[in-house]
Amino acid sequence: MQNALQIVYLIPLLPLIGFLINGLGRKHLSKSVISVIGSGVVLASFAISIWVFLQVKGGNTHEAHYFDFISVGDLKIPFAFKIDQLSSLFLLIITGVGFLIHVYSTSYMHEEKTEHFGRYFSYLNLFIFSMLLLVMGANFVIMFIGWEGVGLCSYLLIGYWFKKTEYNKAANKAFIMNRIGDLAFLIAIFWLIQKLGTVTYSEVFTAANLAKLSTTDISVITLLLFVGATGKSAQIPLYTWLPDAMAGPTPVSALIHAATMVTAGIYMIARSNLLYSLAPLTMDIVAYVGLATALFAATIALKQNDIKKVLAYSTVSQLGFMFLALGCGAYTAAVFHVMTHAFFKALMFLGSGSVIHAMGGEQDIRNMGGLSKKLKITFITFLVGCIAIAGIPPFSGFFSKDAILLSAFAKNPVLYGIALFTALLTAFYMFRLLFITFTGKFRGTHEQEHHLHESPAPMTIPLIILAVLSIIGGFVGIPEVFMHGGDKLGEFLSPVITNHGEGHVSHSTEYILMGLSTGLVLIMIIFAWFKFKNYQRTEESGLGKVLENKWYVDELYDKVIVNPLHKFGGFLNSIFENKVVDGIVNGVGRAVSYSSRQFRLLQSGQVGNYILLMVGSIVLIFVLQFFLKR
Amino acid sequence: MNALIISALLGVVMMFSSFLLKDRSTVRSMAIAGLLLLLVVNVLEMNGVEFFNINTRDMIVFDRFALLFNTIAFLSTLLYLLLSAKEMAKVGVYFADYLALIFFILCGVILVSSFKSLLILFLGIEIISIPLYILTGSDKRNLKSNEAALKYFLLGTFSTGLMLMGIALIYGAQGSFYSVDISKIAGETPSALLIAGMLLLFFSMSFKVSAAPFHFWTPDVYDGAPTVFTSFMATIVKAAVFVAFIRLFDEAFGLLHLQWQLLVAVITALTLFIGNITAVFQQSVKRMLAYSSIAQAGFMMLSLYAMNADAKEGLMLYVAAYSFATIGIFAVLIKMSDYTFEGFNGFAKHQPLLAATTTIFLLSLAGIPLTAGFLSKFYMLKAALGTGKHLWLVIVAVLMAAVSVYYYFRVIQAMYFKEGEGQPMEVSKPFKWTLVVLAALIILLGIFPNILLSWLYF
Amino acid sequence: MIYFLQTNINTTDASSYLPVALQVAFAVGLVIFLTVVTHLLGPKRKTSDKLQNFASGIESHGDARQPMAIKYFLTAILFVLFDVEVIFFYPYAVNFKGLGWDGFWAVLMFVGFFLCGFTYILKKGALKWED
Repeated sequence: MQNALQIVYLIPLLPLIGFLINGLGRKHLSKSVISVIGSGVVLASFAISIWVFLQVKGGNTHEAHYFDFISVGDLKIPFAFKIDQLSSLFLLIITGVGFLIHVYSTSYMHEEKTEHFGRYFSYLNLFIFSMLLLVMGANFVIMFIGWEGVGLCSYLLIGYWFKKTEYNKAANKAFIMNRIGDLAFLIAIFWLIQKLGTVTYSEVFTAANLAKLSTTDISVITLLLFVGATGKSAQIPLYTWLPDAMAGPTPVSALIHAATMVTAGIYMIARSNLLYSLAPLTMDIVAYVGLATALFAATIALKQNDIKKVLAYSTVSQLGFMFLALGCGAYTAAVFHVMTHAFFKALMFLGSGSVIHAMGGEQDIRNMGGLSKKLKITFITFLVGCIAIAGIPPFSGFFSKDAILLSAFAKNPVLYGIALFTALLTAFYMFRLLFITFTGKFRGTHEQEHHLHESPAPMTIPLIILAVLSIIGGFVGIPEVFMHGGDKLGEFLSPVITNHGEGHVSHSTEYILMGLSTGLVLIMIIFAWFKFKNYQRTEESGLGKVLENKWYVDELYDKVIVNPLHKFGGFLNSIFENKVVDGIVNGVGRAVSYSSRQFRLLQSGQVGNYILLMVGSIVLIFVLQFFLKR
Repeated sequence: MNALIISALLGVVMMFSSFLLKDRSTVRSMAIAGLLLLLVVNVLEMNGVEFFNINTRDMIVFDRFALLFNTIAFLSTLLYLLLSAKEMAKVGVYFADYLALIFFILCGVILVSSFKSLLILFLGIEIISIPLYILTGSDKRNLKSNEAALKYFLLGTFSTGLMLMGIALIYGAQGSFYSVDISKIAGETPSALLIAGMLLLFFSMSFKVSAAPFHFWTPDVYDGAPTVFTSFMATIVKAAVFVAFIRLFDEAFGLLHLQWQLLVAVITALTLFIGNITAVFQQSVKRMLAYSSIAQAGFMMLSLYAMNADAKEGLMLYVAAYSFATIGIFAVLIKMSDYTFEGFNGFAKHQPLLAATTTIFLLSLAGIPLTAGFLSKFYMLKAALGTGKHLWLVIVAVLMAAVSVYYYFRVIQAMYFKEGEGQPMEVSKPFKWTLVVLAALIILLGIFPNILLSWLYF
Repeated sequence: MIYFLQTNINTTDASSYLPVALQVAFAVGLVIFLTVVTHLLGPKRKTSDKLQNFASGIESHGDARQPMAIKYFLTAILFVLFDVEVIFFYPYAVNFKGLGWDGFWAVLMFVGFFLCGFTYILKKGALKWED
């Protein structure tokens, strides 16, 4: 076989086979066989993905056409895969990070019953399959199929521990909120079919460039697609499912709710960048929604005490950053951040899993503390993750976040200011999490303390690999100011992504901005260090007497910034999220349920009533037909 | 023509088989063999082999559309008998007679799918309806079954009256029963007589396919009838009447499309709304399925609304997808003693294979991609969009499809995510295999719809 | 000379229904006329015997609305069914020559099905009076 591009179909096919074997044989296979199959198929896909990636890097792109999926009249929707720079990059991320998480899961889920263990791995493989379908598809319909598939898998995996009702509720919420977004996506597809008669990317983009679509059409389509993206990628107003989705097992949160599925919205917009660049209105909306989400989620994260909830809100916030970049036309920066985020957020989720594992299921950071002594590898890798997300050079997060901030600055310095502020909050709450969890004294029960242990190798090795990636992952996109031709990623993606309106910021400004953000982030970290290194539970009630006497600055900071922010965060959490967003979503549900009950009453069971209603309708229709129409 | 005559004869044979054969399993095997025969002769006719040549003066014409639908109907009935024939014996003692009635209904199905004259339409509809009244009331000792049969009969007669009145008015206006002659409209404006007749026919057909506001009988009758027969009624019969509906309004009233399009749009939206919204509140899976069948009828109405080539293709696919999935779910439901949602709790643990196939059926009904249900909904929406009017209808349909996910997933949730006792049930190997075949068919059609649709053309 | 029952068959305006209207008027008028006339002319002697219901000379007793054995209805319905089927023989008898052998085979088939149904109800015991 000369060309890897001829066997691309194996990439999604292998996980599907894994799903079938594990799903059907979950009662008959042993745990080790299930682990080997589950991880092995993803590893094989990863290997092929690397091969494919190298081919694409050599300039070979490919559109593999298999069969006509739908052919209605003159509309033909082929089942085809598009392998180009963008999709091959996503293939690497999905299969690579996916494989590490599979390996991690073999150890993390080891205490489950064999049957459930098999179920878990089959779902996980199915997820990988759907996600690959999503990014490999050569048209919007295939993407939609993958899109629905990942939603379904996420639903199944969130509700994995189905014995708890609240987890079921979380699963339902995730699914229904996703469906709302999916509807918009579906309508956008229909709109495309109606206007262009095709949904294949290349044809759609060519048509759009040739001005076959009116500006209104493009705006509507891009907006609808964006609504779809807000559902899947947890943006305002459809973001509340993501924190609830933390009910699923931690590796699932790492894979689906941090590294891959939630970035599907970014992929979709990056894929359609040609369309978006033609719709300035949508671009603005994307940027503002993204920024608002980033800010809101970051403020809420300040107050959370559940280790996974902090990470969840952080994910929402980081996704907001990516949308900000998309809205500013810096598609490459968004994709870059997807990649680095996949590394460090997966790392932190897996790290939190290691912590939860060590603590025997405890998730409340107020009951932790001082874990760095016992969990050395977890601590160091988690630290790497925190530094990366905070954006300290030369860790990966610095480069991608800097690219986003720069694009925001080029669009509008106000956006930059808010984004920078959000980045500072990010650094603060991440290090708050780190310090409360790993430094100070242990605050849990005696039993837990006794039980503390470092996780086994299948869990720590993925952590180490991800940590290394979090450190070096940024070097593929070194900004021009540091090194001419350093932006390898941008170069690589340039055939498929045309960045739009990327401002020309002078090198000196760029240096100043970088210095400013790095310096402020460092100050934030130091604040966090002093405030939380010896965290005591009582602090929550008041201002912490020890600190009050020691640090006047800290007190001022608390009074002027932290308290209002805490209040604001609390407000957002309780009022905005619970009342407004959930209120609307629940309100729709209640309205449906109420009208359902009312309509049921029409069904009286009396034949006379039925005939009366029928005759009434007939008379009404006759009257309308003969007297009103003329 | 092959299938029509053979199914009539098979009906008579089944009628007498109860005197000659004492053993029920022989009767059952005979019925299944008979259906296989029907399927074979129908496929032969599709390939041009005709056994009978009878001059019907073009009142019945077997075109590709009719033959393809008959094949789907026979295949569905075959699968239905394989899955549920044994359960029929539990309803009452007249096992062979039930089967005979089913063959007679198939005669009616063949007639309504291929009529060219309103007389044949009326005949077919009645041949379908009268045996159904009997089957609905076949559980004689059950009060609910009796009540359902009486209600069905009374309301059904009412709609038959409407239909006859409509046919009479149309005859008065156009002087012919043939669709071809009816479609010839004198002058620019159709006479009020013709429009009135058309509306009356529309109402009575809407009644038969349970479109709102003529759907009231459906939940009561579907709920009251023995579950085996509900399954048949809700799938094959409903599909056949839909095919007749489309044929009637395409061939006879096609030129009046603009006159009735808005009316159909409103009725469709109302059906979708009432079916889906009411299904949400139901506590019994059987009743939920009754409402869901109204909701699915709303989707099929979209093809009537659009009335273009896409719509006809889509209807074929929809009919197949809907029938297969619904037959499968009912087959599982019949085996259960508790029809509430709670009855499905923990089902996945006790009957993993049944739960898995049921999940596929439900996913298909909900329209999740890679199942036939998704593609058929896709075709319908595509067809409706193709008219270029009433975009709101498509939006309503998509929204209602989203609502439907809620109640279908309630069952999946109960099966997989809830703990339950599990009900004792006897499940044979062939039963399981047939279910697997059904599920495979649904997924196959969800990936390669053309294996079905290409039959329409070559 | 054209009689008015034969005029203007091809037109579809209201006047073409005149013959029908005349016929209806005549039929209704005759019935009303005869009823009224007999009522006026006939002698009236109201005795208790005369006011009683006439039941073929058998003395009437009790209320008519009593539950009856289902067999009466079954037999009655089957009678009506077969009676209606026999009606089809009249048109056949009228066109016996015109329809020829084709008609004969068709009617033979009809009778065949007819007999099938009859055998079926016999076998089912629908006509068995005693339990």
